Amino acid sequence: MNAKRMFALMLMLCMVVALGAGCAKKTTDSMPAGATKVEISDKDTDWQKPAPAPETRSLSEDEIRAQQREMAQREVGNMIFFAFDSFELTPESRNVLTSKAETLKKYALFNIVIEGHCDERGTSEYNLALGERRAKASQQFLNQLGIDTARTTIVSYGKERPLDPGHDEAAWSKNRRDEFKIQN
Amino acid sequence: MKIKIWILTLLLVLAFGENVRAAETLSVDIFGPGQTRVNILVLPARGVNGQAATSLARSFGEYVQGDIGFLPFLRLAYLTEVLGGDPSKGLKADDIDFKPLQLSRIDLILTIGGSGADIEARVYETFTRKLLVGKAYSQVDQGGVAHVADRFCAQLMRVLTGKSGFFDSTLAFSKKVNGGKELFIASALGRGLEQVTHDGGFDVSPSWSKDGRKLAYTNISDLGHRLGIWDRSSRVSRLRRFPGNIAISPTFTPDGQIAISLSLNGHPDIYLLNSEFQAGSALAPSWGISVSPSFDLSGRKMVFCSGRLGGPQIFILNRDTGVVDRVTYEGTYNTRPSLSPDGRFVVFARLTDSGNRIFIRDLVVNQERQISFGPGSDEDPSFDPDGYFVSFASSRAGGTKIYVTTRYGDPARLIPTGPGDAMAPAWGVAAALD
Repeated sequence: MNAKRMFALMLMLCMVVALGAGCAKKTTDSMPAGATKVEISDKDTDWQKPAPAPETRSLSEDEIRAQQREMAQREVGNMIFFAFDSFELTPESRNVLTSKAETLKKYALFNIVIEGHCDERGTSEYNLALGERRAKASQQFLNQLGIDTARTTIVSYGKERPLDPGHDEAAWSKNRRDEFKIQN
Repeated sequence: MKIKIWILTLLLVLAFGENVRAAETLSVDIFGPGQTRVNILVLPARGVNGQAATSLARSFGEYVQGDIGFLPFLRLAYLTEVLGGDPSKGLKADDIDFKPLQLSRIDLILTIGGSGADIEARVYETFTRKLLVGKAYSQVDQGGVAHVADRFCAQLMRVLTGKSGFFDSTLAFSKKVNGGKELFIASALGRGLEQVTHDGGFDVSPSWSKDGRKLAYTNISDLGHRLGIWDRSSRVSRLRRFPGNIAISPTFTPDGQIAISLSLNGHPDIYLLNSEFQAGSALAPSWGISVSPSFDLSGRKMVFCSGRLGGPQIFILNRDTGVVDRVTYEGTYNTRPSLSPDGRFVVFARLTDSGNRIFIRDLVVNQERQISFGPGSDEDPSFDPDGYFVSFASSRAGGTKIYVTTRYGDPARLIPTGPGDAMAPAWGVAAALD
């Protein structure tokens, strides 16, 4: 019985030794030559330590307004585009305008200028009228969504301010647009 | 009785003799069917008493030849075309041997003489040896010699055609300045270039009052559209806002009112303003866009561009009857019409596959023809006060510049307007030169 117990003890000892040797070998193999050894420590870090508090200063009214203006401009700034000689709003344009209406409701203090623009193919005077119709299409759509027309001003630039100075359809399609700018 | 018959016969001979002589005098009908071209030879400038020509007289000759190049009914002949070379020994008819000129089919000969600051110039008709134009100019300096040459050519054109609006009128146009546009004026040959507005934003669509004292135009800025009026005598411009969003294509009527496209009822219509700048009822109202009015000399006919039937087309309003007729049926995009002073011709821009081109429509015979041929885009046609020349803006050589052709579609000539894009030319009867 004693011999059996001794044998079992020896076997366990051998297994522990073998296991320890196996682990050490595996560790050595997993480190490629030239690799940087990284030591991992489980010691507590300073994560929980609070960062130094910023200087607390309340923003002035103007600064708050400027911040809000910037945010409103960012939200309202994306343009909508039109087909040649058309002032019809595309479904995509309607979606963009719907989101603008929400923004304008959120920032009720601000008014916007809607600029109507055209491509270079039409002539100057007709394009000035067409640009107005484009801006007006946006104004009317926003009005249907509850934005008072008193909050929107229209300026038609016709083809005077192209976004892309190119002379092909890629440029023209960018230039047939409405731009939206926070006014006050 | 016999004496009476003799007297009568003598009178008839004299009368017919005069007529024959009058008929022999060269004249050019610039409005006739099929233009004739008259050959003119400019002889080298001469000094007085056999001396060498002054540099002033030589540059006068060069400017005159440049000016003649703008007149399609004249062809500049070369001295090499004349048998035996220069047939003149002096400046006057007695010093010129007209025979070789007649053989060489030279119709007109121009002699130039100069001494100090004086210049004299004469044009003879070679077949009759008759002096058509003879002018002497004193106290001319190098800076003014171009103007003197223009004055002389204006006189020559007047004698030959009865018209001289090309040289006597002033061009106003819009030009790119500092990212915007301002208005400039110059003679039809680009002389005396001067910036007249400093409004900021974009000054576009200039139009002269009939007396040439005022310019109406549109100013576009972040403040919207405003009507600008520039006064030639005070050299000041004033800007006015109107209800609605637009103030497009202001145009003076012959009686001094302003027709302008405003959006008073939610869509661009053409209104006449009274002296207080208040709009009356709309001219030829519709639900579509109406812009670019242009009147004949009577002010009773108005052509304009309208999208009332879909795409932009040219229409004409008879203000006496109120009837509106469609003028253009070809093409889907016809804009910016200009009516000739006699109300017979309309020039306009048509969008073609190659860009905009200038077309002319004869309202009497209902025929249409193209008078500009690009490349690039040709826009903003405008008749001169005689209804013969047509100026327009074109991008044919890269940037946009102003060119002039005739209603017959003669080769377009560039009008020098300095560096920078220039467009929207408008002819005015205001004297460009003193």
